[in-house]
Amino acid sequence: MKSSFLWRNRIVLTSGALLLLSLHLVSTGVHPWDRAATPEAFVMEALRPVQLGSARLVDGAIHLFRDYVDLAGVQRENQTLKEQIAQLNSERSQSAELRAENQRLTELLALKNAAHDKLGLDSVAAEVIGSDATGLSRTLIIDSGADSGLKPGMAVIAHEGAVGKIIAASPHASRVLLIDDHNSALDAFDQRTQARGIVAGVPDDGLIMKYVDRADDLKPGDPIVTSGLDGIFPHGMLVGYVSSVRREGPGLFLNVNVSAAVNFRHLDRVLVFTRQPPKMSEPPQS
Amino acid sequence: MRLLALFALATFAALALQTILPLWFPIRGLMPHLVLILSVDLGLRHPSASAALMAFAMGYATDALSGSQVGLNAFTVTLVFLVSYELAGRLLATSDLVGAITVFAGTLINALGAFMLASNPMSWSQIEGAAGQRMLLQALITASLAPPVFWLLRSGKSALGLPLRIARE
Repeated sequence: MKSSFLWRNRIVLTSGALLLLSLHLVSTGVHPWDRAATPEAFVMEALRPVQLGSARLVDGAIHLFRDYVDLAGVQRENQTLKEQIAQLNSERSQSAELRAENQRLTELLALKNAAHDKLGLDSVAAEVIGSDATGLSRTLIIDSGADSGLKPGMAVIAHEGAVGKIIAASPHASRVLLIDDHNSALDAFDQRTQARGIVAGVPDDGLIMKYVDRADDLKPGDPIVTSGLDGIFPHGMLVGYVSSVRREGPGLFLNVNVSAAVNFRHLDRVLVFTRQPPKMSEPPQS
Repeated sequence: MRLLALFALATFAALALQTILPLWFPIRGLMPHLVLILSVDLGLRHPSASAALMAFAMGYATDALSGSQVGLNAFTVTLVFLVSYELAGRLLATSDLVGAITVFAGTLINALGAFMLASNPMSWSQIEGAAGQRMLLQALITASLAPPVFWLLRSGKSALGLPLRIARE
């Protein structure tokens, strides 16, 4: 038995079979929401407490760091004064942080209410607790999942604009594919000229707007908003601003670079629309 | 069984670090691929069919927390396991240096695969430009972290009374 070909080459054969299985998964374009969700949900649920604890720790560490910085500047003062200053500085930095937090939450709440009142869309607020595991893709992990009504395909936004869409949801956590990921694409238009195109992420960071007619007069600074035609984002959600327009080569389309309205690196809270917006059937009119 | 449990725990810790650290520090595109390092250790020092399955599971778990294409990390991590296994057999060496070089190559292959299989694939000019430099830097960072991770794994194996490496048949 042990001298048979299969036994002698069992490691290579097992690895080969697993490689073929992996290639099959890649080549069939299986998406996280298509496959059996159990293994993925298990991994996400298992890591969630660690990620959640870390997110809380980040807040604490930021306060601690600010306290330390505040303290460093008053070392030459006498002890009493130093303590008073440190306390005041600490309170001030905490207050500033709370003000900023309050501002972000107020904006998010206003957005939530506006979405409900104007579009009839219910939404769930969620905290960002993790990032992409390899850094090669642009995904985030948030602390709300299927138990809060989240499902793959739902739009994720921040008060600055469109963020991405849910691609996988476990009971208490979800993964969000950001709009600047190289596998992401959304239907959008230039608000000034009404020129339509597809906003997609590029591997080298940033966004491009594809398939914009060469005759269209796009200019840097133009706001790019969602068209609502993809049935994910509601119509008119800010995506970003045109940063450059090039007419190189003989192609039919413009080369448009877009800077995202949302700073994905500093995103800590988002809103998820728990109901798909009504799908637009015609190109938007001004 | 204890070896697989050790690697499952190490994968959990690696994935926790890989998803949490980018929130703390601006290292998003430079995050070391720690799971690849674990796979190299498995391939170099613990050649077995169950280790191959473990490598696939580690890659699949990474897929659950990275990107939108399932199978890419499962493929790369299994491939790196297989290459490490073959290298250990041909070079008759399982040193940390061999491991670090394998990790470097594996990280590059993983990054290239991720960008080439994308809906908006990377152009050659992008590979030559900033994206290519970032890929190289990520591979270098991952490779430089390989020796300390190998040391941690050796400590874990010693603590559990496991052999540091299994001889090939």
